[in-house]
Amino acid sequence: MLNIIACFKWVIDHEDIKINPETHELVLDRAGYRISDYDRFAIEEAVALTEQYGGSTTAVTVGLPAAKKSLKDALARGPEKAIFINDPAFHNLEPSQTAAILAQSISNQEYDLIICGEGSGDLYAQQVGPRLAEHLNIPCASFVRKITIEGRELIAERRVDEGIEVISMPLPALVTVLPEINSPRVPGLKDTLSAAKKPVVEITASDLGQTFASCLETVEIKATTMERNCEKFGAEKDELKRFIDVLCRAGVVD
Amino acid sequence: MDFKLTEEQELIRANMREFCQKYVDPIAVEIDENSRYPAEIIAKLAEMDWMGMPYPQEYGGAGLDYLTYTMVIEELSRSCAATGFTLSCHIGLASGPIYNFGTEEQKQKYLTPLCKGEHIGAFALTEPGAGTDVGAGSTTAVLDGNEYILNGTKTFTSNGPVADTFVVFAVTDKTQRANKAMSAFIVSKDAPGFKVGEHFYKMGIRASQTSEIILKDCRIPKENLLGKEGQGFKIAMQTLDNGRIGVAAQAVGIAQAALDESIKYSKERIQFGKPISKNQALQWMMADMATDISAAQFLTYNAAYLKDQGAPYTKEAAMAKVFAAEMASRHASKAVQIHGGYGYIKGFKVERLMRDAKITEIYEGTSEAQRMVIAGNILR
Repeated sequence: MLNIIACFKWVIDHEDIKINPETHELVLDRAGYRISDYDRFAIEEAVALTEQYGGSTTAVTVGLPAAKKSLKDALARGPEKAIFINDPAFHNLEPSQTAAILAQSISNQEYDLIICGEGSGDLYAQQVGPRLAEHLNIPCASFVRKITIEGRELIAERRVDEGIEVISMPLPALVTVLPEINSPRVPGLKDTLSAAKKPVVEITASDLGQTFASCLETVEIKATTMERNCEKFGAEKDELKRFIDVLCRAGVVD
Repeated sequence: MDFKLTEEQELIRANMREFCQKYVDPIAVEIDENSRYPAEIIAKLAEMDWMGMPYPQEYGGAGLDYLTYTMVIEELSRSCAATGFTLSCHIGLASGPIYNFGTEEQKQKYLTPLCKGEHIGAFALTEPGAGTDVGAGSTTAVLDGNEYILNGTKTFTSNGPVADTFVVFAVTDKTQRANKAMSAFIVSKDAPGFKVGEHFYKMGIRASQTSEIILKDCRIPKENLLGKEGQGFKIAMQTLDNGRIGVAAQAVGIAQAALDESIKYSKERIQFGKPISKNQALQWMMADMATDISAAQFLTYNAAYLKDQGAPYTKEAAMAKVFAAEMASRHASKAVQIHGGYGYIKGFKVERLMRDAKITEIYEGTSEAQRMVIAGNILR
């Protein structure tokens, strides 16, 4: 029997992000939100493991109260219950804060395994998983593409630069998973309709009894854009000279 | 008046989008090309409880309101209009009359497997000589002891080649006027004398299967009469009323896909040193598309909303259908125009959308029939 916690983040739907062409600022006023794509693999893996080995999955998220909308979506994907850690103060949390808040909130929960996505769909800092494991003082394996459970051991295949690394670690443990680990199921209609009946535990900042200072300051976020000038060049000597001039004027080469 | 969708409606729509991306988009081109019935998608729809959406859970449905059902059909049709129609035909045209007019026994026996997706449903009304003029049908049903004997040929029966359960209309009393002469029957594909005739290969919605149905001394149990004798015309008209909301939703989905493709292509396609989306001529086409899609969507949702409220919706369903169908055809053609030569090539989605859009102006009542219904309502 496995008690698994699957962490997920409610992020801006990247397809809805518009860019102001003059200022390069992100225009988000009409953007919708969705469960971070990477975290869908975490939820799916948790649910699939509990189906295989028995047990139950708890979906956990940290965010603003507006992230409440994410709960039915997450619960429709198979977890038995959810923990919703929310506060109006949880605005633009950076990874160290999110990890600390998660650690504080789930430290009194019983769990055998915590699964996170490899990174979030918005900032993709890839820090929350390893930081959370550190707070909880449990072993952590990141970038995992396959999980097998043998008794109280977890065997993880990790994708590393040189190939695949296979490691084992004792439970309780934390893993961050890669998209290749599974193919998340699409919730059926009845899964969605019954999600509203599943239990949700709410935790707010005051329940946690401490504040979580940030160690980073976001100065601004700007979009990168690719602008085409559609200037055409020939292969003749004069044209090549003109080509180099244009590159120099554009500041691409000195 | 509140146009805001509930959290649940938004989530269900998003789930159907996800379903389409995973299961429908990857094969939509191939099933169109080969005019192939997407059995694997239908099996998935059944597995995920979409086949009986608006019917009560006691019959294996999901108990959804009609408005949400409409959104689901729209979203599915945005990926594949043929699959969207296969489902809306199954739910609206075939399961609808059994739910609305069937006895408890009929619902248990026929509606439940339809809702669970164990059976596929079809609606056999049109005949070679009776299209918009429904009353000109010549298929007959004669009571013989404990059985009805059906004789005649139905044509353009959607889902005909793949369905298990058919709602068939036949004349039971020639002496009556057209609107009292017909009755409706539930016919199983296994009934003796029942045969699927010629398959039709269509211009659009090619993955939706269409055929003739041949009834030759086809014997069915007496208790398979749906409603009462003489109620057939009424059952047909009422079924088409709610079926039309499904077709309107299908048209909105097609038009939305045409706009999606046009936006994407026009931003990527560079001509004269800039994306063609910078040209006002194309901007106006897409502005008109977006406006008409919104208008059609509101008309469609309004008809579904009225149905959910138990209010009359015949006129509104006809308005939604005629407006949505004609705008889908118009704008699918514009989307091909925006794509230029590429839009005319097989494999580009807009080419399929243009072919798929046309049928929405024709089936479940032509645009002309919708205007007859609307005029009949406003001039009464």
